[in-house]
Amino acid sequence: MVAPLLAAHDLVKSYRKHRIAIPVLRGLDLTVEAGSFVAVIGASGSGKSTLLHLLGVLDRPDGGQVFLDGERIDDQPAQRRDHLRNHWFGFIFQFYHLLPELSLLHNVAMPLMIRHSLLGWVRGRRQHLRAAEALIERVGLAHRKHHRPRELSGGEMQRAAIARALVARPRILLADEPTGNLDAAAGAEVMRLLSDLNRQDGVTTIMVTHNLEIAARADRVVKMAEGRLESSPLAA
Amino acid sequence: MYKLVLCWRYLLTRYLALACVVSVMLGVATLIVVNAVMGGFANKLMTRIRGLQSDIIIEHRNYDGMENFARKVELVKQVLGDEVAAVSPVIETFALLRFKLQRYYDVIQRPVRVIGIDPTLKSEAGVFKSALQNPAHRDRPESVFEVSPELLRKHWQNYYNTPAPGGLAAAPMPQGMPIGVPGSSDGSAPPAPDLPPPDAPTPPPEEARVFAAVVGWGIATFRSPKAHLVDEEKDVSVLAPGDEITLMFVSSGVGSGDDYSVGVTRPMPAKFIVTDLFRCEMSEIDSNIIFIDIQDMQRLRGIPGRATSLQIRLTDGPHDTAALVERLRAHFPEGLYLVNTWMERQGMILSAIAIERAILNVLLFLIIAVAGFGILAIFSMIVIEKTRDIGILKSLGASSRGVMGIFLSYGLLLGLVGAGLGTALGVTITVYINELEWLIARTTGQEIFRRDIYYFDKIPTEIDALSIAAVNIGAVLIAVGSSVVPALRAALLQPVQALRSE
Repeated sequence: MVAPLLAAHDLVKSYRKHRIAIPVLRGLDLTVEAGSFVAVIGASGSGKSTLLHLLGVLDRPDGGQVFLDGERIDDQPAQRRDHLRNHWFGFIFQFYHLLPELSLLHNVAMPLMIRHSLLGWVRGRRQHLRAAEALIERVGLAHRKHHRPRELSGGEMQRAAIARALVARPRILLADEPTGNLDAAAGAEVMRLLSDLNRQDGVTTIMVTHNLEIAARADRVVKMAEGRLESSPLAA
Repeated sequence: MYKLVLCWRYLLTRYLALACVVSVMLGVATLIVVNAVMGGFANKLMTRIRGLQSDIIIEHRNYDGMENFARKVELVKQVLGDEVAAVSPVIETFALLRFKLQRYYDVIQRPVRVIGIDPTLKSEAGVFKSALQNPAHRDRPESVFEVSPELLRKHWQNYYNTPAPGGLAAAPMPQGMPIGVPGSSDGSAPPAPDLPPPDAPTPPPEEARVFAAVVGWGIATFRSPKAHLVDEEKDVSVLAPGDEITLMFVSSGVGSGDDYSVGVTRPMPAKFIVTDLFRCEMSEIDSNIIFIDIQDMQRLRGIPGRATSLQIRLTDGPHDTAALVERLRAHFPEGLYLVNTWMERQGMILSAIAIERAILNVLLFLIIAVAGFGILAIFSMIVIEKTRDIGILKSLGASSRGVMGIFLSYGLLLGLVGAGLGTALGVTITVYINELEWLIARTTGQEIFRRDIYYFDKIPTEIDALSIAAVNIGAVLIAVGSSVVPALRAALLQPVQALRSE
């Protein structure tokens, strides 16, 4: 058996509110094979987002480990985790989370800007911008690349966010309710995009949602309840 | 890279932050203008004082001066060797000036400082000839105390309505007591003005002795208080060459002739004809000083061969002035003489200017510090506003240091832009300060720069690149320093919490 691309083992995480610890994850195990499309479903507050944050080393677990390609990543120093987020993971959020001051093109190119120093950026500027433009074209926003996020619709913003998540050529896409804020048509469009990426480009995708219909488009659906994965993978 | 893009974008989109730019700009501009003006004043004052003061001054503590100054001059030349360029003996004394104010038919009496000089030596040892108003005297300072025949004619015409007697044309006169010394023999105070009214001309006695005097510009003119606002002649003349003044000295306590008993001082009035005006543009000097010939002074005060001080001009180039002063002090005993450099003599005013400047700088830097607190407050707000964006950046792989860098470079950018604009504004104001002053004076009717106090035609300014650089660096440091706290706060934000804030 091939080693899973991403694995979580016995993850524990709780939040403190008014000195009372609220447990969110209580020993969660998850393995994700390279190239798969996993949907995590669960009720609001079941810890789906927290799981994504821990998998993407945005946050540290209270207990347990996260392995990326066999390497433990949750206890890495901040610098290494920043590097991992930039090179390995792409995040997509429910509320798109584009930077309002920047044009769509710059928003999409942001991970590359973060990766390169001023000199490196200037040197490879044309190439980086071309990569961003290619992705913008792919998500169908070529005509809007100089617009500000507030001039776009929700679906357009989410497509831009997907382009941004992909521009750094990550191995893993972490999508947090990508359709949660979109109407049915826009949601379907985003889902089509995500499954295309998974199928054609082999981007491993972990998507969190509470919408069963959406989750049904994944290869594998896992259900979260009480801080654990409830059952063995459901059939797609 | 993204730091620069973001802080540049923030600069263009956050109008609140422009308030920081404006406050830094105003602070920097104020500092530059104040420094330039104060530096200009100090500089102008220094050069003038320097020019008027000579390099080293040996002053006798006795009002009647040192005996046989000629020998002392030789001694100075001996001690200082070839470092000395000129030595000018001087008698400085107080006197009561009295003159007739032609246009009001009245008499003015006031105290003045009278300085007896050798015009040639004085010109060599300090500024004298260049401050004279008559160009002929500037070329030949030795002629400044000569009463020319035409001046004398004018004088007689004006005062006595008769032509001048031929005998008086030649000057200076040799021996003889000054005339117009009423009561000098019995020691009583002089009576009312001895000048005849213009309508009743009485020629003075034949043996009249006329001395020559150079009068300070501020004594010879008065300044119309509105002169600045209405563009007309600023200074109204009350004394001109050819006019007559009386100076009343106190004779020395040194017994120097048959008429003076030892230790008794008497009032010694004498008449002078004004031959020229002196204008060094230091109002304190111009409005208090009268120059006469040192020999006339010695004769009038009864102190032949004496001088109250020796003004020494050193040769051009660097000198160890302190060491020279020490060498002189060895020969001029401290109890009798005061040997000082010009800096020591003017130490009070120079250090006063320096202190004033330092205090003003501290106070004005507080203005920039206030701007710094503004940056702190506004940045803290921006960090809160941008919490979510910080989370996004971190999710995209930005490091905490990078996020901190955004806000530090933002502060740096604000500081640079503010300081740059402030420098431009400050230098512009400095360059056009006289035009601005004129404009403000015109519109408000309030004179800001009193030219009669300073005797400067223009507000003097001095743009000092070093102080501008210091102000700029200080302002930028304050701007960056005040953004440290908000930047740290942004850097320490947990990405997950930052992302949650909606």
